[in-house]
Order: sequence, then structure tokens, then C-alpha cells
Amino acid sequence: MIISERVKKLRKESLDAVETLSAERAQLITMFYKSDAARELSSPVKRARAFEFLLKNKALYIGEGELIVGERGPAPKQTPSYPEVSLHSLEDLDILNKREKVSFLVTEEVRNIYREQIIPYWKGRSNRDRIMDLMAPEWHKAYNAGIFTEFQEQRAPGHTVAGYKIFTKGFLDLKDEISKSIAHIDYLNDPLAYNKYEELKAMNIAADAIIMYAERYAVELDNLALKEDDPVRKNELTRMAEICRKVPAHAPGTVHEMLQHYWFIHVGVISELNPWDSFNPGRLDQHLYPLFKKERETGSLSMEELYDLLGCFWVKFNNHPAPPKMGVTASESSTYTDFCLINLGGVKPDGSDAVNEMSFILLDVIKEMRILQPGSMVQISNKNPDTFIHKAIDIIRTGFGQPSCFNTEAIIQEQLRQGKSITDSRNGGASGCVETGAFGTEACWLTGYFNLPKILELTLNNGFDKRTKVQVGLQTGYASDYKSFDELTEAYKAQINYFAAVKIKGNNIIMRTFASFLPVPFLSLIIEDCIKNARDYNDGGARYNNSYIQGVGLGSVTDILTSIRYNIYDRKTLTWDEMIKATDADFEGFEDIQRDLIYNTPKYGNDDDYADQHAVAVFEIFHDAVNGKPDSRGGVHRINMLPTTSHVYFGSVTGATADGRKARKPLSEGISPSQGADKQGPTSVLRSASKIDHLKTGGTLLNQKFAPQFFEDEDSYKCLTALIRSYFALDGHHIQFNVVDAYTLREAQKHPELYRDLIVRVAGYSDYFNDLGEDLQNEIIMRTEHRCEQ
Amino acid sequence: MKGLIFNINRYSVHDGPGIRVTFFMKGCPLSCRWCHNPEGISPDPEIADQTERVGEKEFIKKEEAGKLYSAGDLVEILDRERIFMDKSGGGVTFSGGEPLFQADFLAEALSACRNSGYHTAVDTCGYTETSKLLAVMPFTELFLYDIKHIDDNIHYLNTGVSNALILNNFNVLMESGKDIIVRIPVIPGFNDDQSSLDQLRSFLISKKRNNLKRIDLLPYHKTGISKYRKFRRENKMDEVEQPGKERMLELKDYFSGTGIKIKIGG
Repeated sequence: MIISERVKKLRKESLDAVETLSAERAQLITMFYKSDAARELSSPVKRARAFEFLLKNKALYIGEGELIVGERGPAPKQTPSYPEVSLHSLEDLDILNKREKVSFLVTEEVRNIYREQIIPYWKGRSNRDRIMDLMAPEWHKAYNAGIFTEFQEQRAPGHTVAGYKIFTKGFLDLKDEISKSIAHIDYLNDPLAYNKYEELKAMNIAADAIIMYAERYAVELDNLALKEDDPVRKNELTRMAEICRKVPAHAPGTVHEMLQHYWFIHVGVISELNPWDSFNPGRLDQHLYPLFKKERETGSLSMEELYDLLGCFWVKFNNHPAPPKMGVTASESSTYTDFCLINLGGVKPDGSDAVNEMSFILLDVIKEMRILQPGSMVQISNKNPDTFIHKAIDIIRTGFGQPSCFNTEAIIQEQLRQGKSITDSRNGGASGCVETGAFGTEACWLTGYFNLPKILELTLNNGFDKRTKVQVGLQTGYASDYKSFDELTEAYKAQINYFAAVKIKGNNIIMRTFASFLPVPFLSLIIEDCIKNARDYNDGGARYNNSYIQGVGLGSVTDILTSIRYNIYDRKTLTWDEMIKATDADFEGFEDIQRDLIYNTPKYGNDDDYADQHAVAVFEIFHDAVNGKPDSRGGVHRINMLPTTSHVYFGSVTGATADGRKARKPLSEGISPSQGADKQGPTSVLRSASKIDHLKTGGTLLNQKFAPQFFEDEDSYKCLTALIRSYFALDGHHIQFNVVDAYTLREAQKHPELYRDLIVRVAGYSDYFNDLGEDLQNEIIMRTEHRCEQ
Repeated sequence: MKGLIFNINRYSVHDGPGIRVTFFMKGCPLSCRWCHNPEGISPDPEIADQTERVGEKEFIKKEEAGKLYSAGDLVEILDRERIFMDKSGGGVTFSGGEPLFQADFLAEALSACRNSGYHTAVDTCGYTETSKLLAVMPFTELFLYDIKHIDDNIHYLNTGVSNALILNNFNVLMESGKDIIVRIPVIPGFNDDQSSLDQLRSFLISKKRNNLKRIDLLPYHKTGISKYRKFRRENKMDEVEQPGKERMLELKDYFSGTGIKIKIGG
């Protein structure tokens, strides 16, 4: 792929644009909520009318040279807020403006609008306020102690991905489906008949709204075409206007139409609310390929045009940073990335090899565009060719952390276990960081990270949190009360069960607030079977519903338990008294003990069953505490093992630990070993990591840092391919590679100005090294570098 | 019977095909100036200083280089790595030191590995009684065979031994039909001058057979330096620089004249 001048320019504009807070959406939404039009409406219809009002009045943006149009804000990187979900205070705005990392420019004008219009209306009325009022005291205590986080306090449920349906249908088709569904409402027998009618009415309004939004662009494009002197651009603008009149009303018939069609939907979803992980085109190679093939056969699309379109499409994602987060949510997910994860490869609905020419073309686009967003991954099935993996390694070796590698067979088995159909499972993949989902048919929600090592800390302190000085957990006893390791394990299990229950009770209330006050009729149009069920996406309308709690710090908690067992119960080289003194002092003056805990105690990640058995034990305890517990929208709770950046936050609330880790330092991330704990090389890490049963999760995250030397020739590609295939044969869910040497990272830390483009793999996504907090930078430097020594 | 092993390297990708486990065996009859595994030379266990750092504090741990393993122990280690070998066409490599320095144990270990279905390779300097080489041959599928210099005097002065036995054993191996990869360490000031290279190339051309699969050019590297400190040995290579990438490409070109496949690195 050769990047055209057009794409180069748009890419540069996107990279250079400053992340700015836009008040446009907040103003329009507030205006609508205050108006007479918003009164006396059912929740879904009110939300649909708000959506319509927004799309009718928001500014249009057509960048010079753009081929795909539509922006969430008034211009690239101008990022709206969602006061109905969570309201930024003036102080929050100041922090956003001033904070060193992941900041947003807040102008005086925006500040004034907030002070005069937004805050007076929404104070005490945002869903966040509602949630915080509803949560029980034990939930607040646990939340404040850093036992878990809450995904839905600042953002709406999302983690959702487009499936086949939306790429093959227009919104007029969906309106037909709505009419049919309305005709089927059974007013005689169905007590929910009225709710269903209101929901379908809302969906119909939302469908009209997106068609109207596209028409506004068509008119504007026509106007620009009239004024345009350059005949080539004039022609482009006219064609774009035609496309905006066709999609999203009708199903797309060309590659250009499909990309524009998707993009309108994308903007619709992320304007309606601020769902986590924005929105995602999912299996893009599968969706584009049939139209690409047809157009290549008829000669209506040159490769240059294709690359131009894809380049423009890629830039659009990068124009959309994650909406500004604050407080704990900003710590757990400290990034501009909004977690669109384009899936390539895998299998077709019939189970056959899905890799096609478009898979390779899109890998080229990822390589040449080299921007943070959209993220990308390759689904690797037994049936996919090695050449596909080699092509992915070709990009991975350049060190920007994309694409990550996923196990298609594991993804399918995880879903079959959840009771999904084989076809829906094959049509799924991973979204966000590593989360398994059935694309287009599932509402799979992440609800919060769960701090496994912190709960062990409480277990050693009779449930008392020394940091917040609050009795947070159950009174199961103090460390020295546990006469055996089994007694300790039992107490830890009781604490995990307790906190999982607190979290789940909270989830079940929070979910109802979204179903009741913040339904999403537009998103509901896209995900099956919301129309058929006449039920909102936020109310269990999707074909499949799953709610996840994400376990964090598996490597750390394994090392802590291993150390306790090894040093205190088995070898008896330390007493509880000594261990507690050392950790209470943060090892100051106890460096000799700390040294033995770090260097001379078995660790997870070395294929050592003595240590790894505790990873399995904790995993099973956590799984049993959560898996299968009902949620309040007809689905069940399940577990994931991924951290985004929460392992840094969770570490900051956790004192010194028995594995020799100092207080406040980051925990291990995903299911990776603790930083520096793995000494036997990557095969041992993979063996350790595969001892937990990945198929009982909805995703696990394993990060491996490799020195560039491991990518230097054809043989090393083959070995890496074999390494990936081996891990996947062991049912590993996901593996990603960070390819950069520690020296480069240290240099980048010293001279950030010289390394502005340095992108590294964090945890399930890539980010600019400079945008990471210092703790996280240090942690990435520390992660074991697998060098060839012999 | 037990063998003395000073290091085990998993995900070893430069010592034969695929992903391998390399066992580094103690004891070597040579004392090459550039040796990057100096802890492999002595046939006895020895103590190394291992630094363990905690914050600003440093602790020194006396670590024994060299532990005893039975053939069965080694096979159990391989069993854990089996899937990686299966998927990559890998196996096990015995290196050192000089693995044939413990020839009886090596034969037993190789036999046990073959019985369990592992592809076996022996990385040898070739300085061993021919009978010992013949004894391990039935259980060895690939030899990584070091040829350092053709001139006997230069060889003697830099490695401590004559190369006559090495070159003779090489002939024996070539005649046996076993797969061989020749490894040439490229050491500045020792064998990278034109005359040394010419001799090496002519020798290899004269010995060329179908079972000579490849020539690996191994650039001298300094990763051994810290080990000299650790094991309190004198390092004789302080002044020597690593050959650059361009130089290695030149040499690759030069040896391609043999008609044999050439690889930089293992």
C-alpha cells in the first residue's frame, strides 16, 4: 500500500489535532431535556427524540479531501460529554484541562457553558448521581478501598460490535422489521405489550434520525460541490452526496458505500450515549470482501481508490478519542484509545478458513497507517494459513503492539459453553481488549475490575483496610490465626464470595437504571434480536446477554500465596510475625527478607507447578463466585481476566505484599507473570498461563515482551508462529507482543520529546508511551525481556 | 548415571531447527579465547556470584553452576516443552562446554530422548575420541559442528588444542551421512582475515556432500563478558569489537561461493 497525499494529510491533521472538550452535545441534550418536547414521553421515546434532536442540530464537518464523512463532535478530536450519564464539575474540567496525561483542552467558553447551562440542570440528576445514591454502604466501602471499580458510573454499557446484519441491510429494511414486530404485539396476552410498542416506536424514530443525518450531509456535500473549482474534487463531492442519499437508508452496494454506511452507524452509536469501547465494525475483512470482489471484477474500483478509502476510514477512528474520564475511571482506563478492535481472519459461518485477500489488504493498511485507532487483531484458527500469521508478525515486529493474536477455536468454545449457536459463535470474536462476544447478536458488558490481591490483603487483616482505616470485608481472622494454608485459602474464598456478591448486587441495580432511564433505541436497531423482542439493548433485548467482572492481579496473587505457603507453612523459614513486620515496614530495614521473597521463592510464569497451582486455585474460586449468577436483564455474570490500566490503580491501593512487591507498586497485568518474575523464557510463561481454564472465561490477556532480535529472520517467524499455535493448542485465549528493547524505552522516558511516536502495547491495547503515567512506563520497562543469551 | 549441566535454555531458536531445549553440559577440552560460556569449561561444579538487587541494596548469592541430572530428568523437562517442539519441528540440542566431554551420559541421554520421539542435535567442537563420536551417532539426528580455523598453529594458539582430531572427526561424520551444520565463529583478529577465510572456504568446498546442510556464521558477541566477572575469570577479549552487520553480510556472500546454504547466526 502506498499512502496517498490525501491520506497523509488527513492522517497528519488527525495526529496534530488537540483533544478538546466540546460542549455541543451537552448543550443540545440539555436544551432538549428542558424543552416541552421532552415532557410526558416514555423513556425510550424520550431518548429517541433526544437522539433525533442531536442529529438534527449538531454541526456537520467535512474535512478537506475527506471521502468518508461524519464526526461525533464539531471537528476531529473535539470530544463531547454525556451529562445524562455523568456530569463533570468545574473542578473536573480544570483537572481535564491541566492533567499531564490524557488531557482535554477546556476553553473558557466551554467552562462558562458548563457553569451556566449544563451543571445547573444536571446536578444531582445524572445517572452517576443516581447510581451513587442507590449503592449500599458496603458497596461504597469496597469501592473506596479499591476492591473493585464500576464501569457504568461514567460510561454507558457497550462493548458491542456490528455483525453481518447491519452490513447487509439499510435502515429502511429495519423500519420494515419494526412494522412487522409492531404488528405482532399481542395486546391480549402480553403484559409488556405497551412497553414493547414504545420501544419499537423509539427505534423507528432513531432509524429516521440517522437517515435524516445522512441527508443533511448530502445537502452540504452538494453545496460544497457547487462551490468547488477543482473538477476532480467536485466530482468526488457529488459522488459522496449520492452515497449519503443511499446509505444508511439502503444496504450498501460498493466498498465506499459500506464504509460510509458503517461510519454513520458508528457516529450514531457513540453520539446516542458513550458506550464503553465505542463501537466496532468487527470482522471487517469478511464484510468488505464480497463487495470488493464484485467491484474488482467489474472494474469499478482500483486498488489506489481502495487504499484511499481505507486510509480515510482509518483516520476517522483516530479522530475520536475516548470521552474524557475522571477519578477512578480515569485511572483504570487512562488512555485516549476507545478500544475499537478490528478483527481479521478466523472462520466463516460454516466453519471454514475465513482468511481472504481483504485480510491481507487490511493488514497492509494497519502497517502503513500506524495510528493508535482503530486497534486491530488477528483471529488465528487452526484452519488459517501460516502466511497470514507471518504477515501479522511483520507488523508486530515494528513494535507498535498491533495486531494482537487471538485463538479462534477458544473464542468459539467459550461461546458454545455459554449456550450460543455454533454459527453465532463463529461470527464472533474479540472486542475492546480481549473480550469474547457474538458480533451483532450479543450485549456483553464489562462491569468492573476486581482486585484479587487486595482481597487477600484484607483476608490477612480480618477484613480491615489499613489504608482507608475501614472494616471493609468479613471478619475471617488475622494472618496468624490461620493454622494451615488451607484455612487461609478458605478464608480468602469467603472474602472473594462476599465481595463478588456486593459487586453483583450493585450491578443488578445499575443495569436497571440504564434500562429504565437510558435506553438506547438506536443501538437496539443494530443488535439482534432487539427489534424482534421489542426490547432495548440496555434491557436484555439482545439475543445473548452476559455481564463480566474482570479479575486483576492473577500473577501477583499467585506469587503472594505461593510465598506464604513456601516460606511460612511449608519451609517455615519465616513466621507470620516476621512477614507482617516486613510488609508493614514496606521492607524498609527488611531488605534481606524482601530479597528472599523476590529471588528465592517460586513464582508464577516459570512452569513451576508449586507456584502455578495457586493461580488455578484462585481462578477457580473467582470463577465459582461469579459465573452463572443472574444479572438483571436476563443474562448471567461471567469472568474475564484483563486489566486495561487498572493494575496500576489497584496496585496504588495495595500495601507491600509477601511476594516482595513494595507498597503502591503496580500489580501484575492480565494473566501475565509479575514484572520480572518469569525467568525461563516464553514457553514456560505460556505453559503457566495455560494451566487456568481459559474456556471458562470470556477472555484472558497475556502480554509478552520480546526484544527485536526475535523477529530477525524467516526462522524466527516460524518459531513465533509455532509459539502462538502451541499456546492456542493449549486453549490460550490471546497473546500480544511488545517488541521494543528496554534501552529504547529508557531513552524515551528521558527524552520524551524525541519519542513522540513511540507506541507500545499496554494491556489489550496500544498507546503512546509518552501518554502513559510514569508508573506504567516503568512497569513496561520492567516486564521481562526475552533475550537469546547463548 | 547422571550428567552435569550448567544451563538449560528453553525457547532456544538458534541451535538447530524449530523451538528447542538446549542443555549446556559442563566440561570442555578447549579454552578458546572468545569463549562466551566460560562456566562450561571446567568439568566440575563451580560457584558463581549472582547479584540480587533490592532497591539500592545489592546482595551476592553464591550460585552453583552445574547440577546433576539423569537422562530421565532431562526427558521430563522436554515433555513439558513437547507441544512447542511439535508445532515448530524442534527438538533437543546438547551443547556445552563440550557435550562429548561426558560422552557416556550423552549417549544415554540422547538414546532416552530418541525413545521419547524427540529430534536430537549435538553441538560439538569435534575434539573428542572418534569412538565416542561413533557411540552417540546412532541417537543423533543433527550435528552442529564447529570449525574454527584450518591452520593448526593458529588453532592451537587460540584454543589450546590442535585441530587435527577435529578435522579428522569431521571427515568421519561427513562419511556417515548424518546431517551436519558447520558453525564458524567469526572472531576478529583470529579467523576473519582473508587468508584464514580462504582456507576455511576451500576446506568446506573440498568436503561438500549432500549431508552438509548449512554453514552458520556466528558473529563474535560480547554477551559473555559479564560472565567473566561473575565467575571471576580473566577476559582476554576486552579490546575486540563485535563484527558489524555489513561485515557479516560480506562474509555471507563470500561463503555462498561454496554452494552451501549460509546463515548468519545459528
